[in-house]
Amino acid sequence: MKLNKDFILHVSGGEAVLVPTGNAKFSGIVRGNKTLGAVLELLKEETTEEQIVTAMKTRFDAPEEIIARDVKKALDGLRKIGAVDE
Amino acid sequence: MDQIYKIADTLIRISPINPKIVTICKEYCVVSTHYAFEIKTSPSDIAFERCKSAREDEAEGHPVRQFSDAYLETLAVYRKIAEKMPEYDTVLFHGSCVAVDGVGYLFTAKSGTGKSTHTRLWRQLLGERAVMVNDDKPLIRMTDGGAIIYGTPWDGKHHLSANIAVPLKVVCILTRANENTIRPLTVSEAYPMLLQQVYRPMDPAAMAKTLSLVDRLAASVRLWKLGCNMEIEAAQVAYEAMKGSL
Repeated sequence: MKLNKDFILHVSGGEAVLVPTGNAKFSGIVRGNKTLGAVLELLKEETTEEQIVTAMKTRFDAPEEIIARDVKKALDGLRKIGAVDE
Repeated sequence: MDQIYKIADTLIRISPINPKIVTICKEYCVVSTHYAFEIKTSPSDIAFERCKSAREDEAEGHPVRQFSDAYLETLAVYRKIAEKMPEYDTVLFHGSCVAVDGVGYLFTAKSGTGKSTHTRLWRQLLGERAVMVNDDKPLIRMTDGGAIIYGTPWDGKHHLSANIAVPLKVVCILTRANENTIRPLTVSEAYPMLLQQVYRPMDPAAMAKTLSLVDRLAASVRLWKLGCNMEIEAAQVAYEAMKGSL
């Protein structure tokens, strides 16, 4: 999976925001927590949910099941707005 | 009908189908042998605008409005200009801009909030000192010296604009309220609204450039939030607070 090309990840003032181009059906702005920012950064390259969880384990000091749950939640939210190409 | 126009200090050749473009842009027409880029429209561009407008009406639960090809072509031309302008460090921004003593104050809010009503109050309050730059869709260029805001021919239903450029010093997010109150905003507080109100290009590279231009804009102006009613006091409260901060 990968971030859809009609969504631009932008870091402003240390905060990650996801902004759709004029082509995307979704017209809002996504501002997220650190988990979402890290997931979005990883989605710039082709990856899988498992690979994202593995990468996040090295960054965040939390049990794997918590990280897996948060990653799934972030991906579900991104899928809903069409921001992820499977 | 091909003509060259100087819009936001950029020479643009426009080759329209309908003469309405020539009429609305006539004050911006220049004689030149060169230009930065060319805009050509086709019937499919007009069909795209008709379809987009209908979708927006449906999404808002309104009856679908019918527009002439000539009007829809004006939208298509400005969309094409807005798609290109990030290359020239320039973005289209939805808002009503008034200049007072040569300084630009830009009010932004969702459609129907009362941007135009508020800048009309500024003209009532300040008389000839207040000049409308553009009532709806000005262009903003980011320079090393700060933001410059330009009048454009796309100036809203009351057609209030002037072919002028002024330094933009203030961006104010406007909301309706019973009492008039104003407070400064941080960049983080204002940022979502700035991103909602700037034109978002369809091209991902132009969109990425737009985001960097919005960052520069947010860093170079004073940001405010105004809760206002439609009394002249709203303009007094806003002007005095903002002017005092410059």
